Amino acid sequence: MSLLSWRGWKASLVFVSVLLAACGGGNTSTAAPLAGCNSGTTLATFWTSHTPPDSDSLKHIVDAFNKQSTATCVKLVQVPGSETDIAKLTTAVRSGTGPDVYMLDRFTVAERAAAGVLEDLSQYGAASLAGSYVDFAWAEANFKGKPYALPFDTDTRALYYRKDLLQAAGVTDLSALDPANGPPTIDQVRTMANKVNHKTGGAYDIVGFIPYLNQGWHYTWGFVYGGSFFDKSSCKVTPNDPKIVQAYTDMFTNWDKALGVDAVQTFVSSYNPPNQPTQQDPFLTGHLGFVISGDWVLGQIATYAPNLKYGVTYIPVPKKGDQPATWAGGWSDVIPKNAKNAKGGYEFMKYIAGEPGQRVYTKETQHTPTIKSLQSDSSLFPGDHQFFIKQLSAAHSRPPLPVGAFYWDQLSTAQDAAVRNTMAPQAALDAAATATNAKLQPFCPLA
Amino acid sequence: MERIRREAESPRGAAVIAAPRLHLSKADRRNLRVAAPFILPWVVGFLAFTLYPIVYSLYLSFNSYSGFGNATPVGFANYQHLTSDPLFWKSLWNTLYYTGLAVPIGLVIAIVLALAMNQKVREVAIYRAAIYLPSILPLFALTFIFIVLLNPRFGFVNYLISLVGGPTINWLGDPKWTRFSVVLLAQLGAGGPALIFLAALRAVPGELYESAALDGAGALRRFQHITLPLITPVILYDLIYGTILGVQIFTPAFILVGGTSGGAAYTAGPDNSLLFYVFYLYKQAFQYSDMGIASAMAWILFIISVVLSVVIMRWSRYWVHYEVS
Repeated sequence: MSLLSWRGWKASLVFVSVLLAACGGGNTSTAAPLAGCNSGTTLATFWTSHTPPDSDSLKHIVDAFNKQSTATCVKLVQVPGSETDIAKLTTAVRSGTGPDVYMLDRFTVAERAAAGVLEDLSQYGAASLAGSYVDFAWAEANFKGKPYALPFDTDTRALYYRKDLLQAAGVTDLSALDPANGPPTIDQVRTMANKVNHKTGGAYDIVGFIPYLNQGWHYTWGFVYGGSFFDKSSCKVTPNDPKIVQAYTDMFTNWDKALGVDAVQTFVSSYNPPNQPTQQDPFLTGHLGFVISGDWVLGQIATYAPNLKYGVTYIPVPKKGDQPATWAGGWSDVIPKNAKNAKGGYEFMKYIAGEPGQRVYTKETQHTPTIKSLQSDSSLFPGDHQFFIKQLSAAHSRPPLPVGAFYWDQLSTAQDAAVRNTMAPQAALDAAATATNAKLQPFCPLA
Repeated sequence: MERIRREAESPRGAAVIAAPRLHLSKADRRNLRVAAPFILPWVVGFLAFTLYPIVYSLYLSFNSYSGFGNATPVGFANYQHLTSDPLFWKSLWNTLYYTGLAVPIGLVIAIVLALAMNQKVREVAIYRAAIYLPSILPLFALTFIFIVLLNPRFGFVNYLISLVGGPTINWLGDPKWTRFSVVLLAQLGAGGPALIFLAALRAVPGELYESAALDGAGALRRFQHITLPLITPVILYDLIYGTILGVQIFTPAFILVGGTSGGAAYTAGPDNSLLFYVFYLYKQAFQYSDMGIASAMAWILFIISVVLSVVIMRWSRYWVHYEVS
């Protein structure tokens, strides 16, 4: 006996025909793929893990691009992820559902290119744009001599201080914090910060300075102490450079010991817990006298604490006369493998990572552009932003390694051990060097 | 017609299902042909999305592979690398520590909740809903609430502790307490197992309690000698299921430290105390692009799960009672 009657087969045939017609008919239309796009344009998807307020600015850039492009219509999609976590991108690209453009932390470009996640942009003529970008940003966007990304924003780090907290603690002479007098020494900052420390009920409710909070990373203090994190000639990471070991000892181990490890950790967990909203940041809410952070904080202050009495100066140096140091990071735009509209994606990349996009992003978020031509436009850098721009020419950058994310985690693990006094800095950094070099070795030589 | 026969019973009386023997008639075979297309989607899904990934991950565990391009055979190098990786052992220890605490504590809490839900009071439906409610809340939301509750200075938990003169505990910032915090968080999901225990409690014949009461047994004795033995099959299920889920703990740690870690520098909790096994596996796969290592870790975890399950099953011979069905 047949499973279906002839009438049933006919009905099925009609149903399948209608279904196929419904699925296949979109290509001849010239209608705009999205509202705000021009007709006849083709869709390109752009993924970012950024969150407001930065993602709001990205939306403005996408809208402006869509208005002027006659070929491409970009759809912005916010996806889960972080600087080093690209799980969403990896799985989507493997399954053929990835985006046409992805915003990737620039220091991981080499790592993702080595893993084969990214398209080589040479085929689009990206190499010709090299001269448009600041050198370190362009170097980070390349791997083994080929461009895999267009640099987007950058940033530098500095020491923010609360004038009101310092004055309330009796620190009236702030001349050491005037950038015109060069960088303050670590001892000068320590003296001022100790006066700000305040306890209620035996626990800190105000701490002058915790060097490793916010952007006081391993890289920050390693560069300040003149350390080198990578030796090109031997193709080995060098986190156990004596200068970096000294930085860990002074700024993590000894600083925390002086404040009391448990007491300061309880303060951090109370006032700066994981996944905290920006507006509750301990510096903005008056629980921290000094903090190292980047230029984007200027935008946060303007949004969440416009009347804050604060100042900005160089990151303190070990001894008077030392050259100031900072480092620059930032993001980039890439085309992942298997992109369906890579051509349209590249058209958008040139826009967002070019002058029009970076101009909007700089204005709206107070980040720093990587396009050289914009860095001389002083109208983009009002007030304290100028100070950050001036630092850029001498800023360090993280070595663009194919194991960058792993190296970061290893340095962070060593930092945590140093902060908690669970391991001597030398031993912790030796372990980081051994583990990272074992991972790095198969990629050498990098040139 | 009896097609599947129970052919044997264990020496201790527990019923054991023997290997089925199929005797298909002509009509049965025709029915099977008709049924085959209907079960085909599941079979294809199983082969494509379960069996193939399992076999492929075994293959990858002997290769160096970023997830893209060609895999390079490396023999047992991935397994050897893991044995010399201190973070691998740390993640394993963190996971076993969590499982060793969360499963038995969860078992006790689930039984207590089930007993509470089994009380013969008019409002029991409301109590059941209230007790079960946390189990249907997204873990993401629960974890965020937990961060606030466990804040050392402003959190409700430390406030309660301070009322009895206890110390200030840095739940999520002190490696001595972080794993236990996740154990506590896991107990908010005890409503699910409690429902299963409730079903088991309601299956206990009432006449046993009546007889025991007539013989003068108190509530505690009735629980110890009637209730507990008769729900041991469910306890065994909960132990095995809880252990298998326990060694796969991932989400709370990922939410706590996977995004921003606040003011701290760590990437997996203070002193890597929240670097659970699957969290480290995830990092290997999606942060370090090392699918070979991640696959090797997955297979090691599978073997650990099997070993733990077998140990629990063997142990259960001494305390699980199947006599009353």
